[in-house]
Amino acid sequence: MDDTPVDMPAPLLELESVSRLYGQGDAAVAALLDVSLCIMPGDFMSIMGPSGSGKSTMLGLLGCLDVPTSGVIRVGGIDVTELDDDDRSRVRGERIGFVFQQFHLIPHLDAVSNVETALLYRGIRPKERRERSMASLDQVGLAHRHDHRPVQLSGGEQQRVALARALVTQPSIVLGDEPTGALDSKNAEHVMEIFASLQSSERAIVLVTHDPAVGEAAHRRVRMRDGAIVADERAARA
Amino acid sequence: MSTASDLVGVAVNGLFARKVRTMLLLLGPVIGVAAIVAAVGLTDSAKGDLKRKVDQLGTNLIEASAASSFGGQDAKLPKDAVERAKTVKTVESVASVLEMQNIVVTPYAEAAEKFETVPVPVLAADSVLPSVLEVPLVSGRWLNEFDEGARSRAAVIGVGLAREFNVLPGEVRSVLLNGLEYSVVGILDRVELEPAFDNAVFVTFNRAADDFLTDAALDGDAVLANKLYVRSAQNRESDTAQALKVAVNLGGPNEVQTELKSEALELAAQSDRQLQLIVVSMGLLAIIVGGIGIANVMSISVIQRSTEIGIRRALGHTRGIIAAQFILEAIAVGFFGGLLGVAVGVAAIGVGVAVAGWVFTLQPMLVPMGVVLAMVISVVAGLYPATRAARLEPLETLRLG
Repeated sequence: MDDTPVDMPAPLLELESVSRLYGQGDAAVAALLDVSLCIMPGDFMSIMGPSGSGKSTMLGLLGCLDVPTSGVIRVGGIDVTELDDDDRSRVRGERIGFVFQQFHLIPHLDAVSNVETALLYRGIRPKERRERSMASLDQVGLAHRHDHRPVQLSGGEQQRVALARALVTQPSIVLGDEPTGALDSKNAEHVMEIFASLQSSERAIVLVTHDPAVGEAAHRRVRMRDGAIVADERAARA
Repeated sequence: MSTASDLVGVAVNGLFARKVRTMLLLLGPVIGVAAIVAAVGLTDSAKGDLKRKVDQLGTNLIEASAASSFGGQDAKLPKDAVERAKTVKTVESVASVLEMQNIVVTPYAEAAEKFETVPVPVLAADSVLPSVLEVPLVSGRWLNEFDEGARSRAAVIGVGLAREFNVLPGEVRSVLLNGLEYSVVGILDRVELEPAFDNAVFVTFNRAADDFLTDAALDGDAVLANKLYVRSAQNRESDTAQALKVAVNLGGPNEVQTELKSEALELAAQSDRQLQLIVVSMGLLAIIVGGIGIANVMSISVIQRSTEIGIRRALGHTRGIIAAQFILEAIAVGFFGGLLGVAVGVAAIGVGVAVAGWVFTLQPMLVPMGVVLAMVISVVAGLYPATRAARLEPLETLRLG
């Protein structure tokens, strides 16, 4: 108790007794059962577990792409389970940045336009949008390849563009879904370095993975099994 | 506003990024609108020269002629018929003529045998006839008040008769009317609305009375006309024609018949409505089939782009934005397809006109109508795929974990 700061910062994201069931009645299967989790600013968290442990369901809920069957999810203090689809989309756009295993860039857009996609429909002028996107690309070391389309970029480069896209909105949480799963070890290392460099006292980074190397890189390691959190450990900071 | 401009940017980008697909989408509206524009334009253009002639000649020339109630011959108008006609307020000008029967016209005595069986209309006419008909003289002059007063044997002949009689331009000639020599003082140009005047001979009323008429055709000293040519105020032709019947007759024994001289011509100038309807229907069909094509191609596109849609949703774009993006693509396809269709249609009219020698005619309303029609069809066609796109669940399309 004595290491708890007096003015403890507000959590960025809270799961409170969250369950997610698929199917109905007797046939219902619980992918998540009564899970609670609190993501704090500055967290560099990994969520690990075998297939079927509920990682993907957790990711969908953390990313406001899905709503729980029961329980409460608060993002920045807002209960997103109470919101309609449009408002939940806005919360997602403003507070959460996604990085996917398959990069998921839009193929017909060049790198900078892909990054800009995250800033559309927010009343931002095209010039500012372009500047912010270029700055974000610069952050991942790809400003010089801004006019290349995804097919002209290597896997590692594509994932860095995806990272730039996730960062350009200055989200409070960056959610990575196996972000190194489709990369060779060298590129994976590079991407993990960028993730590590993104740590700040205002932001949380959450990586869902079954790659132990990725899991170990995080300072807070959450383990899941059978739809429940079985461990939530903090590694001593290097 | 910025949301709208962002949407336009995304839609335009999307259309330009997939050029082949966009071409396929455009095909329907282009063919449909082109067919409609070409159908209307070509059927109009086919009658374009007649329409132009109607415009030139005006539709306001009325012929008022005397008719006997008992079908008797030689019906006459009252002697003050011109003055009576002028009492109708919408009448602008009036000329009177008397058509005479059984007068043999020959170019010279020796040719009598050849020409006496050829019927040539001979009319007594007043001095204002060419101005009422709005027809000029090819050469010479018209009969004037002096000819009338001096009862001179002066005649004007139609341009067709002049050709028949081989009258050279400026040549001093005469014609024989029942053997009496009349000097030709002028040649009247072709009268489109009264083709019979082409081959006619015109003389003064007084000389006609002296040479050809019996007392029955006279009222005291005055020669009675049997036909009036009346110009009415524009667009008041029908009213004027009705009023003339009463005003000229004034309860007299002979009825007055009226006829709008341009009516037959206007009828001929009307486009073939049935043909137009058939081809326009085919164009409509083409545009509807094109719309179904748009719905098809866009539905496939929604499936192909489901990952993109999932990404955009993950980035915070709402369902409404996703739907609007697809609708906007459809609007753009309709707009540009419509414009292109109008252009192709106009080009088709141009080719048709050049080949067939018609007069290019295009109702200007067809341009906005074609574009709007294409847009409406495209938007309706885009509704279903847009709804499907909006309903996609990002979690299902992104394959997480």
